[in-house]
Amino acid sequence: MRLPRLLIVAALWVGALDAASAQAPGPVVTTPQVRAELVAHAPEGVGAGKPVALGLLIRHQPHWHTYWKNPGDSGLPTTLEWQLPAGFEAGPIEWPTPSRLPLGPLMNYGYEGTLLLPVALTVPPDFAADTLDLRLRAEWLVCKDVCIPESGEFALQLPARAATAAHAAAFAAARAAVPAPLPQAQGRARVDGTALALRVEGLPAAWQGRELSFFPETPGVIQNAAKPVAQWEGAAWVAQVPLDPQRAESPTQMPAVFTVPGEAAGVQLTLAVKGAWPAVGGSAAPVAAVDAAAAPAAPAAPIGLALALAFAVVGGMLLNLMPCVFPVLSLKVLGFARHAGERRALLAGGLAYTVGVVASFVALAGLLLALRAGGEQLGWGFQLQSPWVVAGLALLFTLIGLNLAGMFEFGSLLPDRVATLQLRHPLLDSLLTGVLAVAVAAPCTAPFMGASLGLAVTLPTVQALAVFAALGFGMALPYLAASAWPAVARALPRPGPWMATFKGLMAFPMFATVVWLVWVLGQQVGIDGAAALLGTLVALAFLVWAIGGAGHSRAVRAALGTLGAVLLAAALVWTAPALRSELAAAPAAADATWQAWSPERVARAQAEGQAVFVDFTAAWCVTCQFNKRTTLASDAVMADFAARRVLLLRADWTRRDAAITAELTRLGRSGVPVYALYAPGAATPRLLGEILSVAEVRGALAALP
Amino acid sequence: MKLILTSLSLMALAAAPAAAWAAAVGQPAPAFSATDTAGRTISLADFKGRHVVLEWVNPGCPYVRKHYESGNLPATQKQATAQGVVWLAVNSTASEHGDYLPPGQLAAWMKARGAVPTATLMDEDGQLGRAYGARTTPHMYVIDPKGVLVYAGAIDSKPTANPADIASATNHVTAALADTLAGRAVATPVTRPYGCAVKYGGAG
Repeated sequence: MRLPRLLIVAALWVGALDAASAQAPGPVVTTPQVRAELVAHAPEGVGAGKPVALGLLIRHQPHWHTYWKNPGDSGLPTTLEWQLPAGFEAGPIEWPTPSRLPLGPLMNYGYEGTLLLPVALTVPPDFAADTLDLRLRAEWLVCKDVCIPESGEFALQLPARAATAAHAAAFAAARAAVPAPLPQAQGRARVDGTALALRVEGLPAAWQGRELSFFPETPGVIQNAAKPVAQWEGAAWVAQVPLDPQRAESPTQMPAVFTVPGEAAGVQLTLAVKGAWPAVGGSAAPVAAVDAAAAPAAPAAPIGLALALAFAVVGGMLLNLMPCVFPVLSLKVLGFARHAGERRALLAGGLAYTVGVVASFVALAGLLLALRAGGEQLGWGFQLQSPWVVAGLALLFTLIGLNLAGMFEFGSLLPDRVATLQLRHPLLDSLLTGVLAVAVAAPCTAPFMGASLGLAVTLPTVQALAVFAALGFGMALPYLAASAWPAVARALPRPGPWMATFKGLMAFPMFATVVWLVWVLGQQVGIDGAAALLGTLVALAFLVWAIGGAGHSRAVRAALGTLGAVLLAAALVWTAPALRSELAAAPAAADATWQAWSPERVARAQAEGQAVFVDFTAAWCVTCQFNKRTTLASDAVMADFAARRVLLLRADWTRRDAAITAELTRLGRSGVPVYALYAPGAATPRLLGEILSVAEVRGALAALP
Repeated sequence: MKLILTSLSLMALAAAPAAAWAAAVGQPAPAFSATDTAGRTISLADFKGRHVVLEWVNPGCPYVRKHYESGNLPATQKQATAQGVVWLAVNSTASEHGDYLPPGQLAAWMKARGAVPTATLMDEDGQLGRAYGARTTPHMYVIDPKGVLVYAGAIDSKPTANPADIASATNHVTAALADTLAGRAVATPVTRPYGCAVKYGGAG
């Protein structure tokens, strides 16, 4: 019974073509699916400078549809081919905002019901005839559950000196349904791995908080059927739209239409696309990636769970020695000295600290795993990839520094009740110290953590959490040991007046940390953002001094405090947009010797028989910066690189970068630094230590074939 | 109850695309196993070391008929298989859809038009189609001997239903095969497929 139906469809199709071509053309073509009519709107007659609009009016049978300029996953846009007297010119179709037409797993963009596709007609100045003869050949694809390509020849005669306005209402409705640009609306798109990150500002205020429809005019870029992951950030609409894995286009500009339900037209705007489009097929690079994925990097693969836990404990202990934990370590030393006389309190504090550290690690790991499950390509150091987090930490460390420097006491800032609460609960204090230590330590993935973390993120959730808990336990272990064995604690100096001096001294590592954070922020958002942050820090310091400074009278304190609060609010208003803006230029990763990393670059060099050294780095990674300024700046190392013609590539992870995150995952790591040396033709690189020594690099280079 | 079922199936549809469009050019082609019109089980793994073409077909689609009735697709198949290429036509039309042809009728339809695919696969549940992200008929894929997808897209460069356009169009599949058979990277690895939507189950 299937064939006859097929024949009927075929017959209908042939019939439709016959109907269109056999008779002398008129303004109307009717097929079983649509009634199409060539219509015109010339309210002042036809003459140069007078408004003349033409259009194809399509009435679809119920459930049949034709397509928008970007038809989506299948379908074809309707085309109009005009035959006009000399000098006349028909404009492009002014497409009304389409509807989303889901079809199983596919998504199309098109129209049902009644549709007018208008075009503007330009009349030449020398036009003086009484009538205007129009001819049009239109092609459209009309689909329901089957698709039928149809076409029609249309003819229409317009009086030049009389008004043509029979379809005025249809043209008015069509004009109202055509999306228009909005002067203040602007948007941009950033290629973010396998997704397009959109940010649109200046949309109508009434749209805020509502669900938006997004129609890209460029076909073949996004997964049309996937719903964008979207949210409103104040007045800005922010969304992640997955890219089509079989993407056919890599545009630098993407015109698109935005609308909300109930809106006839919506807003048309052109998104400037930033970021490099991932390569689509063809090159050797993805193939090499496939080979390498089959044989993961040596350190990650063979570790069993027990070994990973042991590594995690050791790695956690060594974390205490990492530069970015040091300021917090100094806080801890202060804590020891304060409680050295009370053993039980000390031990309890040690345990509370351990609980704080382990809980934070587990919480962070849980968050990491949840985000991974959510498909976000994030790595361990992701906290510091957000300018907001960096700015927040800078504020926090400035506060701590000012406190240590004696500008204010926490007791004088907090209500008495909270202050005494804090005193009565030293355990809570220790717990919070543990949490703070973890927050600061996270970006410093130390040498031994790399493999554990790489494994952990690939493990089932429970095991992964166990690894992270072990890491936390390792980090807290020295503190716990010192609190449990008096011998360790007793080795510490007695409390005394030196503590005040030491406390003041400790303010400087805090301020040094702030310098580092400002530098990181500068890398992320540029010098304006860094200056804005510094301004905010000055305002914060002023506020703290105004409120907490000793010797201010009540009135002075109130006046200065108000002024300080206003200053701080103003500074924050100044800072916020700077933090949102992204640095247009890539960070200065590429210089004469180092080039920007990309998987294609590695594959190309390997194909040409060149060895490749990749420095996976980030501005916020202190270990990375240390290596960069020591070993990787060493003349001996650079001479060896040059002698062996090694291509030097730098993968900068300062800001989120999905390609780098994916590559780190592939190498079994989830943080930086990672140093990878690819021998010519080898799919798997040799990974070098994270605290890079000159001898190690030269040894690895000497071992190259 | 119906409302619940509807919303459940809507949720399933909304969730589907994330997992569905797995195939990407330059990546390993998704493995599959399917039954052909003669009842044989055909797996991609059977053809390791050979070039494989996948062609989504639906005789109910005017764009498919354009390329069969003009002899374009049969000729492309003939040329490819003569060079040792494995050609698998795939029909992902759901059995409840009006366009659906049972295996025997589909094979007869193909044969009557001189088609010479290595096999014609039945994919009524659309699994194979979804794994490759096939959206239109025709939608063409080329897989190299290493099992890597090297081409995805249209049969040729003129997205119309008019057979007269075939002569002046570039056949993307022939071009991709010429490149990959010669060991070169495919010059145009991705194009936009055109044609009717694949009639997956639950569609329309």
